[in-house]
Amino acid sequence: MGYPHKSHPKETVVLSQYFGDADARTFKGWTKRGGYEALAQALKMDPVAVTDVVKESGLRGRGGAGFPTGLKWSFMPKEKKKPHYLCVNADESEPGTFKDREIMRWTPHALLEGTAIAAHAIRAEVAYIYIRGEFTEPWTIMERALAEANAADVFGAIRIHLHRGAGAYICGEETALMNSIEGKRGNPRIKPPFPAAAGLFGLPTTINNVETLAAVPHILKRGAAWYKGLCLSNPKSTGTKLFSVCGHVQRPGNYEVTMGFPLKDLLYDMCGGPPPGRTLKACIPGGSSVPILTREETEACLLDYEGVVASGSMLGSGGVIVFDDSADMVYQIMRLARFYAHESCAQCTQCREGTAWTTKIMERILAGQGKPKDLDLLLDLSENMTGKTICVLSDSCAAPIVSGIKKFRGEFEAYLAGKKQSVMVS
Amino acid sequence: MTVQEDYQPVFSGKVLEELQTVLQRYPTKQAALLPTLWLAQREHGWISDRIMAEVAEVLGLTPAYVKGVVTFYTMYHQHPVGKNFVQVCTTSPCNICGAEDVLKALLAQSGAGDAGATSPDGKWTIMEVECLGACGFPTPILVNEDFLENVTAEKVPDIVRKYR
Amino acid sequence: MSDGLINLTIDGAPVSVPPGTLVIEAAKQAGVLVPHYCYHPGLPVAGVCRMCLVEIEKAPKLQIACATTVTEGMVVKTQAPAAKDARQSVLEFLLINHPLDCPICDQAGECELQDFVFQEGQPGTRYGEFAKRFNPVEDFGPDVLYVPNRCILCTRCVRFMEDVAKEPVLNVSERGDRAFIGIHPEARLDHPWAGNVVDLCPVGSLLSKDFLHKARAWELDKTASVCTGCSQGCNITLDTRDEVVVRVRPRPNLDINRYFICDHGRMHYRWMNRGDRIEAPLVRKDGALHATDWDEAFARVLAILRGASGKAVALVSPGASSEALAAAKRLLSGFTWTGAFQVVMGEEAPLAGVPNLALRAERAPNAKGAEQLGYTRDYAQALAAAKSAAVVLVLDEPDCPVETDGALIYAGTVLGEDAACRRADVVLPIANVAEEEGTFTNRDGRDQRYYQAKPAPGMAQPAAWVLGQLAQAMGLAEVQ
Repeated sequence: MGYPHKSHPKETVVLSQYFGDADARTFKGWTKRGGYEALAQALKMDPVAVTDVVKESGLRGRGGAGFPTGLKWSFMPKEKKKPHYLCVNADESEPGTFKDREIMRWTPHALLEGTAIAAHAIRAEVAYIYIRGEFTEPWTIMERALAEANAADVFGAIRIHLHRGAGAYICGEETALMNSIEGKRGNPRIKPPFPAAAGLFGLPTTINNVETLAAVPHILKRGAAWYKGLCLSNPKSTGTKLFSVCGHVQRPGNYEVTMGFPLKDLLYDMCGGPPPGRTLKACIPGGSSVPILTREETEACLLDYEGVVASGSMLGSGGVIVFDDSADMVYQIMRLARFYAHESCAQCTQCREGTAWTTKIMERILAGQGKPKDLDLLLDLSENMTGKTICVLSDSCAAPIVSGIKKFRGEFEAYLAGKKQSVMVS
Repeated sequence: MTVQEDYQPVFSGKVLEELQTVLQRYPTKQAALLPTLWLAQREHGWISDRIMAEVAEVLGLTPAYVKGVVTFYTMYHQHPVGKNFVQVCTTSPCNICGAEDVLKALLAQSGAGDAGATSPDGKWTIMEVECLGACGFPTPILVNEDFLENVTAEKVPDIVRKYR
Repeated sequence: MSDGLINLTIDGAPVSVPPGTLVIEAAKQAGVLVPHYCYHPGLPVAGVCRMCLVEIEKAPKLQIACATTVTEGMVVKTQAPAAKDARQSVLEFLLINHPLDCPICDQAGECELQDFVFQEGQPGTRYGEFAKRFNPVEDFGPDVLYVPNRCILCTRCVRFMEDVAKEPVLNVSERGDRAFIGIHPEARLDHPWAGNVVDLCPVGSLLSKDFLHKARAWELDKTASVCTGCSQGCNITLDTRDEVVVRVRPRPNLDINRYFICDHGRMHYRWMNRGDRIEAPLVRKDGALHATDWDEAFARVLAILRGASGKAVALVSPGASSEALAAAKRLLSGFTWTGAFQVVMGEEAPLAGVPNLALRAERAPNAKGAEQLGYTRDYAQALAAAKSAAVVLVLDEPDCPVETDGALIYAGTVLGEDAACRRADVVLPIANVAEEEGTFTNRDGRDQRYYQAKPAPGMAQPAAWVLGQLAQAMGLAEVQ
């Protein structure tokens, strides 16, 4: 935490230590706080040794996929024959997620330092930080920080550039991100080839999330064993994670906890639970693309990669969206379907047509014109949209639909039975 | 290509110099397309078909190619917008925290009326957009390049007054 | 894998293909057509339509056959229930915004959407009474219309212009279900090879204005032929309806034109349907030409040839078949022979993404064949020699400004009112390229056969037959 509230005692403060501290944003302020020491250390190490440290730490991608970071770095070619690239995914657009924004606007140098260390580890000469177009404040802060760091010449031969997105959620998908940097429509690519073999400009590339890279200087400085030790129950999920809690909670914000932390404690202790007089009804723990949890499932859920899967969802980006009993689940699921329909890149038939069709059916249900077969139709369309496309946007649209109908069927049936009428905007 | 005699190229003088700096960041001219379009929009307010053709020429691309890219990304305007271009997030996390009320208030108080339309005085275009990445500070809105957090319907009159 | 080939099983059938082969291509060897839209062997792989999803043993998810390379021992099932369901769902998704235009759509009968829906689609849609997306028809350029409502966004057209024609003049505009194929207002689709996008379009979205509403696909007879537009020798199909050529389309030939033809060749067929044809042999009697039969015409020609000696000049078209050209030379082998042709020249227009493929400057199909048979390009000299020649034979050159003191024999398809050849002693009506079988030799020396697509009018016969009969009657030996 640190901003807008002070850190909660139950938090494990690593990445968010200087959130809210404007001085930490400056180069001087950051170095005063021990910044860029890890980078200096890493630049003296063999790239493979740096990768080994990160591998050992158990750090996993914090963008949503949870892929082991050190392992991803090791996919880069062992023999250096061509230029290598690092892309930093700061396109944070997953509904419910707002952690990378905080990292960039409070600790820009942490990101720059992590970027440079990663670039060194994968022997990339150039790194692009892809910042979504709407993040005007993080952009300005990152620009200033980059200028300061360049003036202080801390990056050695590594060149870091900022690249501004222009309004497309799909550019957060790693291959679409690369296409966007190349000056193309943000269409995801078919794999193979994989980025480590042929990525940006056809050259070996690694793409990492902001939060992932922000952890790297800490791991280098304090050691892999320290990071691995930050773990509550499941040794496969180590370190801390910034959970962006939003929706119907009294104190929304980014909370940094050790992996394995109980979701119940996060929501009730730290965030104060739903507003007075209301009860928690549903929770999406990892950004809108993961299945919705019921209250019971939420209260039993442990926040690590395997833990959330055990509860029937996924950790994803860690964007925790909380719905209390005042929320109209059918309306909100419609709104999510509309989000995916709006963001579909249009390549794959199932996604292009399916997201829009799904939205239309949901709108029809909300308008009181739902048909009895609509729920089965939605489930069938969702199945047709899952596991069959270039990227998982299509699957992501299906997730709230399937889990919503399964767990909140009563609310859907109330609309179908004409017992409820919503007022829809646009 | 038809030549409009009164067309003032966007990329000349200082802007052209700025473009040269941008080009140095990428190994191909094509890769400079997104930042070049941002420059054009900053200078001209929106990106017309004619400007797309100029950008194409400057970067060695075809106008159709540039248009395909422009129409993909929602932040590039393909027609003129009001002096204050406002983007309001209404995706679910903000939706359950009153985003639609914020949108309605903005539409009413700015005089824009409908989302996407420009107000009669030319000062406002209000758009409903998808998640702005500030869900813990509902409802975030962008007024041009200013990112405002925690906007509520109650705060809208002050915002409208400030930017008008 | 001792012979370097990869062995795999597709729908139970064993298949052996070179490494690097795509599953969708390997399937052809097993006689299996994997349904697809965006894939085309002449274009880079896109993998967007998702129609070619197949089940591959050991793969956790269905894979697209167009982007999966074969591996040793792979087992592919195109008819697995999951794959069929997936394809059926793709078809359903494609049809929700696709108008029921079949009765008025040019593509009907040769439409891949119709084909696969009929083969494995659902009998009805669940889309119900939702409105379909509507966009008005757009004129993209000289010959191409775009009907956005029918577009399935396979992007074949975009990829063709970008990667094969190397002129990205088509794009995908917008996003999601609002997407359509777009063009910039300052550019038209007027590339010399742009017409191929109409062939490539699997549905009736990109249409040829020339062919619009002209004929139904099932009314057409298709005949293999060779384009006469230039010396490239592109393989084509002549589509005829009621014995009229209504359309020209490319025939795949990986060595010459791959899957494409240029717009010049595509539009170069109306002359094959000319009505002002010479329909009967004509012989000069009492100072005027009179229609007669072949017997009398032959008798007259033979009399001329037997009664003359010295120089003979043959002025021939570089669009005549090699057989006709050879027979013409043979027929005049008893004379001191000069043979020449002239070729109309135009601007070359390459298809940049394919090696050695262009609309050639030489706008005739058989100049090389003529050359190989001994004809020269010294047309002016031959015209001069004709003046004093004993016999002049003009083959299919209706505008030939020939003047001779000797006998003039004209073998052609048409003869204008003011044509110099009206002064011929004998006029022999011949078939045009669509009405006969013959051989052309392209600029690379490749001999190619073309076939008869429609009957010749009246009593017209192939020039090779006419001249061959005469040569035989003269007792002249076959040229080896």
